[in-house]
Amino acid sequence: MDVIDIVVAVLMALGLFFAFIGTLGILRMPDVFGRLQASTCIASMGTIFVVLSGIVYVVAHGMSGSVVVKLVFILLFVLGTNPVSNHALCKGAYRSAKPNPEPIIDDYKEDDPQ
Amino acid sequence: MTVFLIGAIVCLILDLLLLYRVFRGPTAADRICAMDALDLVTALALVLYSLHSGRTIYLDIALVVALLGFVSTVFVGRYLERRL
Amino acid sequence: MKGFKFSAWLSTAILCFLFWMLLTWSVAPRELLWGGLVSVVVAAFASRFLIHSRAFYLYNPVRLIVLVFYCVIIFFWEVIKANVSMAKMVLSPKLRYQPGILRIPADPKLKSHYGLAMVSNCITLTPGTITLETAQDEEGQNYYYVHWIDVAETDRDKAGDAIKGTMERWIGRIWK
Repeated sequence: MDVIDIVVAVLMALGLFFAFIGTLGILRMPDVFGRLQASTCIASMGTIFVVLSGIVYVVAHGMSGSVVVKLVFILLFVLGTNPVSNHALCKGAYRSAKPNPEPIIDDYKEDDPQ
Repeated sequence: MTVFLIGAIVCLILDLLLLYRVFRGPTAADRICAMDALDLVTALALVLYSLHSGRTIYLDIALVVALLGFVSTVFVGRYLERRL
Repeated sequence: MKGFKFSAWLSTAILCFLFWMLLTWSVAPRELLWGGLVSVVVAAFASRFLIHSRAFYLYNPVRLIVLVFYCVIIFFWEVIKANVSMAKMVLSPKLRYQPGILRIPADPKLKSHYGLAMVSNCITLTPGTITLETAQDEEGQNYYYVHWIDVAETDRDKAGDAIKGTMERWIGRIWK
């Protein structure tokens, strides 16, 4: 157990902690918008830190460069696609679901830019 | 490294917690939100398991799982918006 | 084919070929030949969805360096701040918050659609804010409609500064 392994374990634990935060948010939040906001934690911090720990591990142990490239691709695809799906789902939920704490200000309903 | 195996098991436990919301969620949007998060956590579990076992084929599977989750979530979102 | 441009096709084909080479990670002639063929065919279909104007705009070392610097430093810092506040909110026992949907104005210098899309994606990717829509009024001013989970500021301009932070200024340096 040398220093690199400890760094890898700490990074992975940080990522899993934020994935846990996202999961807890999905379980605890009262309405669908809060759940969507909390689920972004998994996509941003969870993925970033887990992939970062993988990159540190692979580079330190001298494995093939293709593994690093694939990890970076997974990170880029998740970071590129998750906002799009979250945005589509949030708009769909805005049409169909009822917000539980009523929004204190709603410009979207007033303007209705369709 | 054994740490990665522990991390993958933690990801699977998070998956089980998310399944509660998938079965329980009052509306369809809740279920799909939880399914999207479940896809991401499964992809993370696959990444960690591939680092544990040293087989890079699991990385490709993680990529495909993440992309398919994206496509299904966008389709259901458009459907709920009544635009499909 | 409608809307087919040669420069857009070439730019997309180069991008696809780079992706192919990085994913296969080998320089065997067989791989290069098939990758080139597949990327040329794919680019013929996909270029009109990907590129609308100025096909070789991002193949510029200065812009690429600014893009990488933005992604690694600025965006990462914003994500860390938003995540820590989200973690505090989720872990607090009472779970009280006041959501709201705000219309915040975009930077008038940022005209490019790629830039607007990237700003709204970055806003969505920081936990606590989701962009619902971008719209344009009669004077050509762009607006984002942002769902903010804990509204601290109901004035639109100040709320825009609080949500966007320094992200929009840096993206404005990449896409004019």
